[in-house]
Amino acid sequence: MKISRRNFLKGSVTTLFLAGFNLPVYSNSKKKNLVVIMLRGGMDGLCAVPVIGDKDFEKRRKNLILDKTIKLNSDFALHPRLTNFHKLWKKEMGTIIHATNIPYTQRSHFDGQNLMETGGRVPYEIKTGWLGRTMKLAKLQGDGLALSLPMPLLLRGVPKNDNYYPAKGIMPRKEILEILRSVYLDKSEEELLNMMEIIKQRSTISSEYESRDNSALALKAGQELNKLEGPRVAVFEIDGFDTHAAQGGIDGSHSDCLIDMDKIFLNLEKGLGKELNNTLIVTLTEFGRTIKQNSGLGTEHGYGSAIFMGGGLLKKSQVFTDWPGLKRKQLFEQRDLNSTIDSRSIYASAMSTVFEVDFERIRKEVFWAEDLKNYSDKLFKT
Amino acid sequence: MKNFFRKVAFGIGPNENVPSDPLQWAKEQLNDVPQFSWKGKKIYTEKELRKFYGEYIYGDRKILRKKYKDDKHAYKIEKDKLRHKTGQKYWQNLELCIRHTEALKSKTPVHAKLWYFWGNHFAISDKDFLARYSTGAYQRETIRANMNQNFEKMVYEGTVAWAMIHHLDNQENIGPKSESAKEEWRRREKEPATINENHARELLELHTVSPNSGYTQEDIVQLAYIMTGWRPIRDKKKLETANIFFSRKHHQPGKKVVMGKKYKSGKKSLSVVIRDLVNHPSCRNFIATKLCRYLITDYPTKDMIVPIVKAWEKSDGFLPEIHKAAVEVAFNYSDKYQKFQNPENWLLQMSKMCDINLIPGTKLMESYELGYKPSGYQRSLERLLKELGHHPYLVKQPNGWSDYSEDWMSPELMIRRLIFAKQGYFKMKPSNQNNGFYEKMIRKNFDNPNEILKFLKKKNQPEDRHILLFNLPEALKA
Repeated sequence: MKISRRNFLKGSVTTLFLAGFNLPVYSNSKKKNLVVIMLRGGMDGLCAVPVIGDKDFEKRRKNLILDKTIKLNSDFALHPRLTNFHKLWKKEMGTIIHATNIPYTQRSHFDGQNLMETGGRVPYEIKTGWLGRTMKLAKLQGDGLALSLPMPLLLRGVPKNDNYYPAKGIMPRKEILEILRSVYLDKSEEELLNMMEIIKQRSTISSEYESRDNSALALKAGQELNKLEGPRVAVFEIDGFDTHAAQGGIDGSHSDCLIDMDKIFLNLEKGLGKELNNTLIVTLTEFGRTIKQNSGLGTEHGYGSAIFMGGGLLKKSQVFTDWPGLKRKQLFEQRDLNSTIDSRSIYASAMSTVFEVDFERIRKEVFWAEDLKNYSDKLFKT
Repeated sequence: MKNFFRKVAFGIGPNENVPSDPLQWAKEQLNDVPQFSWKGKKIYTEKELRKFYGEYIYGDRKILRKKYKDDKHAYKIEKDKLRHKTGQKYWQNLELCIRHTEALKSKTPVHAKLWYFWGNHFAISDKDFLARYSTGAYQRETIRANMNQNFEKMVYEGTVAWAMIHHLDNQENIGPKSESAKEEWRRREKEPATINENHARELLELHTVSPNSGYTQEDIVQLAYIMTGWRPIRDKKKLETANIFFSRKHHQPGKKVVMGKKYKSGKKSLSVVIRDLVNHPSCRNFIATKLCRYLITDYPTKDMIVPIVKAWEKSDGFLPEIHKAAVEVAFNYSDKYQKFQNPENWLLQMSKMCDINLIPGTKLMESYELGYKPSGYQRSLERLLKELGHHPYLVKQPNGWSDYSEDWMSPELMIRRLIFAKQGYFKMKPSNQNNGFYEKMIRKNFDNPNEILKFLKKKNQPEDRHILLFNLPEALKA
């Protein structure tokens, strides 16, 4: 059973709390950041990173084949609207994992999104997220930043995460905040005090309206991650990948979502500046989409998808895959791109690299000793 | 003691007298299910609202997606029209009016606060379009309507409710040895009949015995077998929104064993197994603990739980008796424990105590016409609750909104309280924005009025005083 927050506070030294918890865990090494972008609705890996010259593919989604794709290597191309990701690719800071997914094959968004966040195999069985659990293991408390109002399940498992999602409304004056802070201090309301300390530092929200657009949030997150004493982990959400109809080609609805993702890459880079070198950005989705287009020129829920990764902690730019092929018999249940890499292996490897925690410990303590592979030396600078 | 009025309800309003016997006042509200205090002309049935849902699903899936397959813009426009034609953005707002009127205007706010508890215990999470058409009505008809019944009846009706079956995928729960499993099309389409454990697991884990009872994975599977066949009637037009029935064709034949007890094949076994689950000692303990957590403290003590369990045993799980025991425990611990209020309850408390005009009137709500987009005023409650981070129908997971304070502590959520305290002040009647009003209100609703008044006296601006008051630990907790 998880240690409750309250017990933790009791068990910890009071001065830890007063210091604000941001203890330098790795005082001898550089601060490294991890950003996770959740792509909700089922990201179509074959739309984002199409396979080149595959007749089975072209035959099955005639109307959805993209023009003017960007060739990445002899086998794969990139969606032409992912220009910012392509810039990272050209700087050896872009990697794609293809034909990968969490081990979930039932095609329900609801269950799939639960599992992509918990990392488990049974929907709703686990009440914490793989990222939160690993942060706890790495003693990264008070280091998570969610760019959303509710705390995502993905970050649960470690207390004291921060979030940023500008409110629609005007904050009270600083003076009022200061009065409340001193009340909370006098009354030993530790949790409220801790919140107020963070709120007080956010000078701008009291005076101007800030955008909730993912681009604006990414810029802000980049700036926060850039700070030495700032968060080390950020989590984004993009909705709308569930394109059952009018998925379209280059300008279709799936593209709109991919562009949203691409802008997060751009603005994170803007905010991070040189610290992009010490950052890893990864995407996460519940499943891919069927190869075959449906009668509404959309796609149905599938299985295998792709992961986008960006940042200077990557070894090089590459499409990393154990390609299963798209012939009927090679497909999962004869309809979907198969998943040949358990995406949790990628996330565990990524966290091992960024958080400097032994992969085996993550595998055992976060993923219940499941059969995950360590890809760190193939994907990341170690 | 005055804290108690906020602990089990939403405080005492300016036009109400402080009850001389608070416990009696609270208990009297719990004997029956009161009529709704919302004075609108019509409260729609869940079935009526589900019909709109069905029209939306069918219209989108079977008509629009095909018609506008080449044109995402036209598709979007037509889909929006269909949304409005079926009232998609209106119904939840009407439901929230009904819900909040029970807290603010009824004579039974204690009943309302417990209704919110049960709605969340048997949560319908934000899946598909349930929140927009069905969840509010489900909480009225399946949950609230059974608050004067035994817990067993509430569990049974919740389990076979259309919203619950749909949301926990029981229509996908098909006996692998059922008649349907042998159908030719399954081989052709490669869709073998399999069980789906979701609903069975939540019935055990969240709704009744909890994992403390020690059930195994095999118990979940066996319960899932018992639940096979409970699904919507096949209907080409209504699709998945058709009424729930028991389909023998999809039911797994043979005996099942759940937690050591045997159950026969067939429809009746579901009610039999539910009776056994609600009579399991873990179930009483689990529910009593949750009630204490909701009303009193994050970590209830054994002394709090025992009286509720006893009332349960004595009354055979009769909900009014369980509720009375829970409010009595809350009363006894009122001075010693303060519970951090979730955003919705906090908002309602501020609105009640300050007589804030929170709920759009019946006239405004009923001026809505199907086919049109509801106005910003008509949608104000939905927007407000979303912005506060606590919309009761938009819970992410089947385990409902958390009753632990730590889950409501995030900088952004606290920022919302600061902002909405400020907005609340400007929604008060100007005639109430004076010291006299605040003094009376604070004396009625807080146990340390002198301390609070002394603190607020130092601040000049009335608006500031309001923001400070509703963000003091005394007001954030009850």
